[in-house]
Amino acid sequence: MRHIHIAVLTGSILLAATIAGCGAAPAVDKEGSTSAIRAAEESGASKVPSASLYLQLAKEELENAKGLITKGDKEEAETMLLRAQADGELAVALSRGDADMKEATQAIERVQQLRQDNQLPQERK
Amino acid sequence: MKTLTWFIGIASIACSGLLVGCAASVPPEELLSARQAYQQASVGQAAQLVPAELHKAQEALAAAEKSFQDEPNSVRTRDLAYVADRKAKMAEALATTAAGVAAKTKADADFQATQAVIAKNSAAQLETEQKGRLEAEKKTADAEANLAKLAAIKEDERGLVITLLGGVLFASNKSELLPTAENRLNQVADALMAKKERRLTVEGHTDSQGSSGYNQTLSQQRAETVRAYIISRGYPADLIQAQGAGETKPIAENVSAEGRANNRRVEIIVEIAAPVQGSMPK
Repeated sequence: MRHIHIAVLTGSILLAATIAGCGAAPAVDKEGSTSAIRAAEESGASKVPSASLYLQLAKEELENAKGLITKGDKEEAETMLLRAQADGELAVALSRGDADMKEATQAIERVQQLRQDNQLPQERK
Repeated sequence: MKTLTWFIGIASIACSGLLVGCAASVPPEELLSARQAYQQASVGQAAQLVPAELHKAQEALAAAEKSFQDEPNSVRTRDLAYVADRKAKMAEALATTAAGVAAKTKADADFQATQAVIAKNSAAQLETEQKGRLEAEKKTADAEANLAKLAAIKEDERGLVITLLGGVLFASNKSELLPTAENRLNQVADALMAKKERRLTVEGHTDSQGSSGYNQTLSQQRAETVRAYIISRGYPADLIQAQGAGETKPIAENVSAEGRANNRRVEIIVEIAAPVQGSMPK
């Protein structure tokens, strides 16, 4: 009889542990989206009109995802985080692209000015 | 009647099924947008400049399409399509950036090449200027040497004074040049051309024979004649003035024939100072 009690107790403990293990689902990974948003902010996306919209969307989507996580809707949270990451990365690309295009324009104007100052013909486009 | 009711029931179910099927096959807005964005990116510069990014966009769109087939109305499908749309837009943005970077690289190379051309041109120009300056200096030195052979030259406070004896240039009491005088004046004028930026004064002088009024007029006319001749040889007219001094500035005694011959003369005075802008009175 005592052996039966021990077996039942052991079984209960194992069952509880198993249930507890199943209940603690792995946390949703927000690293990709938060990194993309951070990179967009560091690249100055908020000051570039074409990029600032996507940065704002990324932030809103990250907040939405957090709300879904809180509600326990893991699957929707994960795809919402994918949205946030995609918007953040696009904001980075647009922000850096804007800076590169400005540098290109300045370089082209610089050579045009140099040619003009020295009365050299402009390069045909 | 029972058969008709059964038929209507079957037909209603079939129609309902058809409607449900139609509704399921309508792609969500996100997927339509993603398809359009990918189409736009693939026909632009992205395929050439950022093929890897375009490939990522293609894969993202394929994942969204598969999700649409499996779960047409799911949130997951819409989210994946949204991501595919952004990937396509990013490929296009990166292609634009790559084109800009390439343009900057080319512009920088152009700038350096242009600087090299300018430096080369400057060196050539400097060499030309230096050569021109040396030639001008030599020409001036040669001209002064030639002048010394043609006429008496001295320097006083007025400048370089070239003295041509009147007997060489004019017949007695005349203000027209002798034919033999032109050759000499040609050589003088050629020598003067070497420094034609200087102001000249052509001054006529006579001996004391005859009235002073007559001598004044004759000296003035002779000075004008010489001035006109030098101008005809190319010297700037606004840099030459002519004036008659008559018998007022003798350089020798008028008592001897030799002295009078020396007093009958034309002096060309080359000013040392740089010319002032503007024309001079004749």
